Amino acid sequence: MFIQQLINGITQGSLFALLAISFGIVYGTLRLLNFATGSIYMVGAYFGWIVIHYLTPNLFLALLSGAAAGFAVGFVLERFAFRALRGVARIASLICTIGFSLFLNEVMSVLFGAERKSMPSFYAETAFSIQGVDVSMLQIILIIVAATVLILLQILIYRTKLGLAIRAVSLDFKTASLMGIPTDRVISLTFSIAGAVAGIAGVLAAAYYNALFPFMGNLAGLKSFAAAVFGGLTSIPGAILGGYLLGIIENFAVQIISSGYRDIIGFSILVIFLLLRPQGLLGKKSD
Amino acid sequence: MASILSSIRERVSGFVGRHKNAVTVVIVLFLVALPWLLTSAYHLRVATLVGIYVLLVSGLNVIIGFTGMFSLGHAAFYGIGAYTSAMLTVMAGWSFWIALPVAGIVAGLFGTFIGLATLRLRRVFLAFTTLGFGEIVRIIILNWRSLTRGPMGISGIPVPQLFGQTFDGRGYYYLALALSVITVMTLYHMYHSRVGRALIAIREDETAAASMGIHVFGYKVLAFTVGCFFAGIAGSFFAHFQRYVSADSFANLESFGIITMLALGGTGSIIGPVLGSTILVLLPEIFRFLMRYRGVIYGLTLIVVIVYRPGGLANVKGIFEKPKLPKRPHQKRFGLFRRGPAAGGLS
Repeated sequence: MFIQQLINGITQGSLFALLAISFGIVYGTLRLLNFATGSIYMVGAYFGWIVIHYLTPNLFLALLSGAAAGFAVGFVLERFAFRALRGVARIASLICTIGFSLFLNEVMSVLFGAERKSMPSFYAETAFSIQGVDVSMLQIILIIVAATVLILLQILIYRTKLGLAIRAVSLDFKTASLMGIPTDRVISLTFSIAGAVAGIAGVLAAAYYNALFPFMGNLAGLKSFAAAVFGGLTSIPGAILGGYLLGIIENFAVQIISSGYRDIIGFSILVIFLLLRPQGLLGKKSD
Repeated sequence: MASILSSIRERVSGFVGRHKNAVTVVIVLFLVALPWLLTSAYHLRVATLVGIYVLLVSGLNVIIGFTGMFSLGHAAFYGIGAYTSAMLTVMAGWSFWIALPVAGIVAGLFGTFIGLATLRLRRVFLAFTTLGFGEIVRIIILNWRSLTRGPMGISGIPVPQLFGQTFDGRGYYYLALALSVITVMTLYHMYHSRVGRALIAIREDETAAASMGIHVFGYKVLAFTVGCFFAGIAGSFFAHFQRYVSADSFANLESFGIITMLALGGTGSIIGPVLGSTILVLLPEIFRFLMRYRGVIYGLTLIVVIVYRPGGLANVKGIFEKPKLPKRPHQKRFGLFRRGPAAGGLS
């Protein structure tokens, strides 16, 4: 039972970690919260589903499609909701992303119907068993894909020139722009990358739960925000840690308390951490 | 577009200014006569619903518009009011007239409690925490079966009676009208009182307000309590109007709807919430083909209002306005990243 819950926890934690990092990149660069992260995740899932349903049942193509959709939505969101609102209270852009999130959810439910769509199951065969617990191929793939994305992001931010620009903008916008960094383009790219990560998470989630629906992003988005705060919103390793920990804690807590209360755990952690340790597990105190 | 809107607005406000008493009399007569003008019971229900939203949006306006605290979980307090009233009348057999204020007080107390716990948070985090609280309330309602009957909801909520007469559609309408008039009047007087000025001072600049001797934390908790009290009253009324409550009516989507109405009407204005809730409740009802796109309209409204018209329809200096910084060519680009109270005051 322990191992079963641990594996489920890590699998779900991978999804939380991806979304948490999507929150984290945007917050880290602009100190803005993108409430629409959950909706981008949903849009990604739908675009993955479109590829699988209409073109070819290939999970990896679906992942690419979801990432592209997320990238595009992130780009549009930055252009229309954030760029116009620079210099305005941060809360205005948060509320604006809520509007965007409502809009995306509703547009998808008008286009594809509000009911659940089912995703065919992929790689359902057992990869291996530990102490009688079957681990499916899909779980392995999901964990590996998530880990790859997270590592690539880490490399992107700490090892490339673009990453250097992103970090410069996050440290000091004005100086970065004086140093010749095209800040607008960097911010736009940051949003798009965050969107792409959320889109990938959406396709993975749809494949893992075999289902997608227009409001799937709401709870997932809120919980991963909790995970990001848990680990430290400004720290990338922190957001990843928070995601995995939340997944594991949730799965174990379901064993102890009733499963109906599963979704409360994330929010309790969110409230407790915001009140007692707002910088999260790995964040820096200064912010 | 903006110039057309503002010229219309100028003409309307000029006209209203010149014929203030006449306009008031016409509006009052219209509202009183409305149940006789509307032929279908359904339309009367929609008009009553507008009243409920006026209460909800005005309450949230105290929290967001007056004080500048972003509570995104307003539907939770609405739900707490509705469930309190439903449980008191169905399970304990209380009268509606006692349950109504009690529901308001219970929701207000929850507001006090949440306020005490979260008001030290910075604005965006307060927003997410209250959103989380809204979700927690919904999950508890769904799961605490012995108290709330879980997903089945509470049905058979009694119809209120007055002087031995059971309420009909008109009764509900007049009660909603009375409640919203009382709410708007109360908030009008609150806004123009010492308390209101203190709240606005806190919204504009917390540090300055504190140094003027305003008890910032106390006033913030007070604003939260008052806002949630009105949400509780609205919830109680809704429970007896619908005669059935379930957790679905109080999801986060409902909170976002309330915020959209507030943003459209104008944060921090007295008449804004009335305008916003009237328009957004009536619009999908008048244009029936829009019903399917209700959520799309809400989302678009929110985006358009915040990006292009932060003052809302009432166009007061609301909470979404840009902070007034000394004008410089690059002000727009760098304002957000400025440190210190000049730009940080709102963030």
